[in-house]
Amino acid sequence: MRPDTKNFKRGAAKALGNERIQANLLGLYNGFDRARLAAADGTPDWELMREQARAIKAHTIDNLDYYLELAASNVEKAGGTVFFAKDADAAAGYVTDLALARGVKLVIKGKSMVSEEMSLNERLTDAGIEPVETDLGEYIIQLAGETPYHIIAPAIHKSREEVTDLFEAKLNSPRYEEITELAAEARRQLRDKFIRADMGITGANFIVAETGTVALVTNEGNGRMCTSMPRIHVAITGMEKIIPSMDDLGIFLRLLIRSATGQRISSYVTTVTGPRHADDEDGPDEFHLVIVDNGRSRLLADPELRESLYCIRCGACLNACPVYRKVGGHAYGWVYPGPIGAIVTPVMTNLADAKDLPFASSLCGACREACPVKINIPRMLLHLRKEVTEGRKYPTERNRSVLEALAMRLWRLSLSSPAALSIANSVARVLQKPLLRKGRIRWLPPPLSGWTPSRTFPAFVRPFRQRWRG
Amino acid sequence: MADGREQFLRTVRQALGRDQAATPPPKSGEADGESSIRDRASEIQREAEDNADALMSRLHEAATEAGWNVTRVASPAEAADHILRVVQDLEARSIVRSAHDVLDALALDEGMARAGVSMTLAAIGDMATEGQRQEQRASIRESCISADVGLTGVDHAIAETGSVVLLPRRGVSRLVSLLPPVHVAVVRRGQVLPGLDELFALQRLDHIEGDLGSYLNIITGPSRSADIEHTLVTGVHGPGEVHMVLLG
Ligand code: SF4
Repeated sequence: MRPDTKNFKRGAAKALGNERIQANLLGLYNGFDRARLAAADGTPDWELMREQARAIKAHTIDNLDYYLELAASNVEKAGGTVFFAKDADAAAGYVTDLALARGVKLVIKGKSMVSEEMSLNERLTDAGIEPVETDLGEYIIQLAGETPYHIIAPAIHKSREEVTDLFEAKLNSPRYEEITELAAEARRQLRDKFIRADMGITGANFIVAETGTVALVTNEGNGRMCTSMPRIHVAITGMEKIIPSMDDLGIFLRLLIRSATGQRISSYVTTVTGPRHADDEDGPDEFHLVIVDNGRSRLLADPELRESLYCIRCGACLNACPVYRKVGGHAYGWVYPGPIGAIVTPVMTNLADAKDLPFASSLCGACREACPVKINIPRMLLHLRKEVTEGRKYPTERNRSVLEALAMRLWRLSLSSPAALSIANSVARVLQKPLLRKGRIRWLPPPLSGWTPSRTFPAFVRPFRQRWRG
Repeated sequence: MADGREQFLRTVRQALGRDQAATPPPKSGEADGESSIRDRASEIQREAEDNADALMSRLHEAATEAGWNVTRVASPAEAADHILRVVQDLEARSIVRSAHDVLDALALDEGMARAGVSMTLAAIGDMATEGQRQEQRASIRESCISADVGLTGVDHAIAETGSVVLLPRRGVSRLVSLLPPVHVAVVRRGQVLPGLDELFALQRLDHIEGDLGSYLNIITGPSRSADIEHTLVTGVHGPGEVHMVLLG
């Protein structure tokens, strides 16, 4: 998915002005958010579990290289193939080449946010392969030619009438009035795809390093179809999805599912360890695990942002967020919306374009409160705001211009001692002369120009200390 | 295609600020010795036997909440009668079943035949050659696609969540509990575990013994979706109606 993060304000205004979307978004609060609270209430040791999960994640992420190697070697021992993809392009290339090499014509897909990062459907289609989304919400989104609105409920912004219109237009189906009829139509349409598909692609909610097992949480059964019917199964996952042991799975499943939908457990939890064994009755002949970086190592490298990788993608922070619940998912412009999206999107795509996102929060703290792994989202939003104002650019430090780096270094140096500050100030007072108007700087030269399109910068004046001394 | 593994891991290490692979301290049970995994597993199995009754009752309650139609019966004959009744109420014509032992003990064949219901065993014959296996595999798939009801035993059940656990392998197809619109699962006394943690502890035992299967399904109630207007519908892709028979 190509990021479109420059237009947050426009996207937000559009959603705010759309009564139907506003009505549909109410469900996030009335449905998910309250169900989560009730589920947490009904789970003994909920708070203890959150602490434990956070500690496990902290340990795993701090030793991610170790656990990645362990997971990969265990997937291979189980007869699977592992591909490490440094970015979205490499991941999409691997999957597409594999599909072509195996003569795949039809791919069925379970919900996978990482595949959205990769624009995988586009890539497969370009290669002459038909990708079909099979999660009901994703199926609707694919028919509509849109992108997911929410990481758990991709079509939450659509009303049943809109789905009826869509099915009539795209599937030639009758004008169904009931949601059950719409779901039944999707079941009929997709059943045939499940039977004919050559390849199933899914995400992975967790990867258990100790055994090389992929765990999938689903409700509809399409995940089971994708892992059982076709002759090839490909699981695609972000590198942060690792947990050390089977022993950790219970805690994480409880936290994920209860935070996501408020269910005690989803209809299906499926674990996959390699392809089918020789004497299994069925299952795929081949299993591939694609582990994707695509900017996650930048989150890892910044100690201030590292804990964003503890995220288990439950969506609770979206449902709890008063901003997300008004502006909706599309305004954020990329795969991950809401509070956690406002952190990972700028770093994984481009901070300069996505600079509005860290500011799309009232810092009320509801996200942190809701997060099952207690991620301190408000702290990271503040950190990114600072990065934006200092003009720091992701993706990479290397992208920062030499001049900018030098300016930043001088800036820091100038703050490091009173003498240095005073020298810097004197230099700046001379240099600013051509830019001054009414005691404000109207325009700053690059690299500081980010400051001045919408505001002025106070002029450098003789510091109080110098003035006081006369 | 070149696997960028080394480069990938190097990037991760750099991000973590080191140039050597980490050997992390033991954490969250991952360094547990094999003997402690074995001990834990036998303790779990013993408790599942000792508390079988209480666990059955807890399962009954949680499974009902989760959307199963639950019936507890005292004998295999009663279980067979009940299943026959379910099948007749559905006006089902065809059943596909797994090769779980508990189903053999129910001796369903005759009753089903009398009711005019065809029952197919989804298992590849012992003596099959590779060519025959291929054929049988295709025909199992066809049976699952066309059957009205899928009937299975279970490998475990979970009281905490009201779930059954299936470990597909020889004799247990992945598709019997998935493709037909109705799934009937028979749980034997002694198969019920208290919670998810016990299930995964047993999986760890399978792992160290080299017996870990390729697949595991925890099934809890019918297939569901709330993707349109947050309204719950059942039977999207998976079975829309599920029955749990508690035996003993
Ligand atoms: S940040 Fe926390 S609450 Fe938000 S999606 Fe991730 S795990 Fe869930």
